[in-house]
Amino acid sequence: MAIPRSQSGTTWFGLARPSRRHWLGYILLAPAVILVAVIIIYPLVVSVDLSFQKVGIARLDVARKPFTLANYEKLFLSPEFWKSCWITLKLVVTVTLLSMIVGLATALLVNNQFRGRTMARLFVALPWAVPEVIAVVIFSRFLDSSFGLINWLFITLGVTDELWGWFSDPTLAFWSIVMTMVWKGYPFISIMVLAGLQSIPVDFYNAAKVDGAGVWQRFRYITVPVLMPVLGVVTILVMLWVFRDFAIIKVLTDGGPIKSTQTLAILTYDQAFGFFNFGYASAVGVITLLICFIASYLMLGRQTKSMY
Amino acid sequence: MKYDLGKKIAALALTGLLSGVAAAPASAADTLKFVSWQKDEGGVGEWWAEVISKFEAANPGTTIEWTKVERGAYADTMTTLFAGGQPPQIVHLASFEYQNFAENGWLENLDPWFADAGISLDGWAGQQICTWNGETACVMLLYFGFIMGYNEAILAAEGLEPPTDFDEFMNVIEKTTKDLNGDGINDQFGTVVVTRGGPGQYLTELLNFVLDAGARWTDSDGNVTMNTPEMIEGLARWKAVINSGFTPRDIASGEGRRLLADGKVALKVDGPWLYPIMARGPAAADLKVTKPPFNPPVGGSSNVLGMASEISDEEKALVFEFIKIAMSPEMQSKYATVANSTPPSPTADVTGVEEKTPHFQLLIQTQQAAAAAGVDRIPTGLEVQYGEFSKMVMEEVERMLIEDLDPADVAATMQAKAEAIQGG
Repeated sequence: MAIPRSQSGTTWFGLARPSRRHWLGYILLAPAVILVAVIIIYPLVVSVDLSFQKVGIARLDVARKPFTLANYEKLFLSPEFWKSCWITLKLVVTVTLLSMIVGLATALLVNNQFRGRTMARLFVALPWAVPEVIAVVIFSRFLDSSFGLINWLFITLGVTDELWGWFSDPTLAFWSIVMTMVWKGYPFISIMVLAGLQSIPVDFYNAAKVDGAGVWQRFRYITVPVLMPVLGVVTILVMLWVFRDFAIIKVLTDGGPIKSTQTLAILTYDQAFGFFNFGYASAVGVITLLICFIASYLMLGRQTKSMY
Repeated sequence: MKYDLGKKIAALALTGLLSGVAAAPASAADTLKFVSWQKDEGGVGEWWAEVISKFEAANPGTTIEWTKVERGAYADTMTTLFAGGQPPQIVHLASFEYQNFAENGWLENLDPWFADAGISLDGWAGQQICTWNGETACVMLLYFGFIMGYNEAILAAEGLEPPTDFDEFMNVIEKTTKDLNGDGINDQFGTVVVTRGGPGQYLTELLNFVLDAGARWTDSDGNVTMNTPEMIEGLARWKAVINSGFTPRDIASGEGRRLLADGKVALKVDGPWLYPIMARGPAAADLKVTKPPFNPPVGGSSNVLGMASEISDEEKALVFEFIKIAMSPEMQSKYATVANSTPPSPTADVTGVEEKTPHFQLLIQTQQAAAAAGVDRIPTGLEVQYGEFSKMVMEEVERMLIEDLDPADVAATMQAKAEAIQGG
């Protein structure tokens, strides 16, 4: 397709002129930037704006309500908000830690040469391919308090003599979510770490062996430092995933019992769509965003230093 | 030549744009959007399909775009559609959630439409619940009373009759809870009480015991009446049933109905929608229905039909045609035969309904019993705050069970919290 030219013979907008050549870059970027602005930045701005208004159900076609800090005052004075922060923190730390351990262990396992390694890699990656809601339904069946496989196994094996209420006991409900999230989340870590492991030259290990380094020392002084960039990025991504995950908790426990699994994401949803307090829900959302931003910034900064 | 081509393209684009704008109102009325959670429900789903079919036959050129949204995501989906300015023209909502939509001015006042059409709503069961701020915001589709489904074979094996009060209920569920295969785990339960599926469902289940103990969430003036001896008794009964082990734990409503239909539960108290599920289950031959052992029965309003206010006049006229068909004597009669439920219309011809719905008189009896006692699932004075109220009650009752609290203390806490919610 011919580029239209003006009568002077230069291309439209004078893009051929040296002083305007960089315009092409902006023009090519523009669609993507506009798209991002429309689907991310605009709702974000609307959310921040709503958080400073006392709004029931949000509507974009009505006049803006007066500016107020009432939502933030209510938020910081609410024990429910602080409890949700604590549960979110507990969940982020527990799931991230366990996912990292399982992901690293399975990656180290399938990085070895053994018969059936391809199948083993497939099984390690399988939970990642299962849609989140399907995973929740599977765990919901396994953990069913009256007819579930886990309770049947525990009673049959003599672990307990009574049925455990996996969704009606606050502690067990929390661990139900942790188990589901770890099962769903560890394959991502495993795949990323496996890619990292395969980039480590074998010479490093051979040299270490010659120097008399044992398995643990090789892991501690070669594998871990070389994997740090991968582990750092993966940690941030997993933390952010746990932080904002909604579907697993909503379907499995709906934040209960007695708010024992109510994270900030569930609190935001309940306030917006359960109680129609969009202003307050937006304030929770804004605080969640700030926490995510600060956590990511600190982790990225720390990671950059540790890489070199 | 290049400029000629450019002009032609521009002219074509402009023509297309203008014709599109001109055609917009007409094309909008070609399709009416109707969102419902009942699309795949046995009985009532077929009834809706027949209403749609009749509407489309009577209004050639207009089709109904019928979309199913799961009940669990229904309120948020509808809120998003309305807030985003894309509401379905035909509005189907639960009777405990329409108030927020009406409060936002999203539902058309139907009074002028009924007046113009000369339709009277006198005697229409539960219609008073559709009055919001003095206007008719919707039409009540179902006003019902709870029934009890029971497995005759399980009861007969223990020499038991269906229970008629709370004490008999406890006796029956105790004797019919069994470990049939000896693995140390009960696999047949006396009853099934639903405790998963959201606060609204939890409150409805709890209400069976609360009403039977003589308690109410609020009085007819909207004053909170939760710290009463009757409420304490109702909470104590709930605690006894849940802690007894005679009901499976953490069960959602669909699972509970399925357990009865599969013959794993001796009895279950539920709405009229229980029967079609029972009738299709493997234990159907042993399953019977009777009035519940709780008095008055849980009942009241279920779901409503309305019209979006922010649509064109042409669309409004078509939506009202749809509403009229749903309210027509023929379709109201079919609400009994096809949907197996009590039609709200006082003039619905239900002659011969017993041939297809043998327990129809039972449905009428429990509906009337609930209506006579002024029962409704939505407490007066807490309609708009129902979501927050129901969540609060569910959490306080869960706390009572988990921390083994005294029901009297829980009733006092709920009273204070409900008043705070009501006060905003």
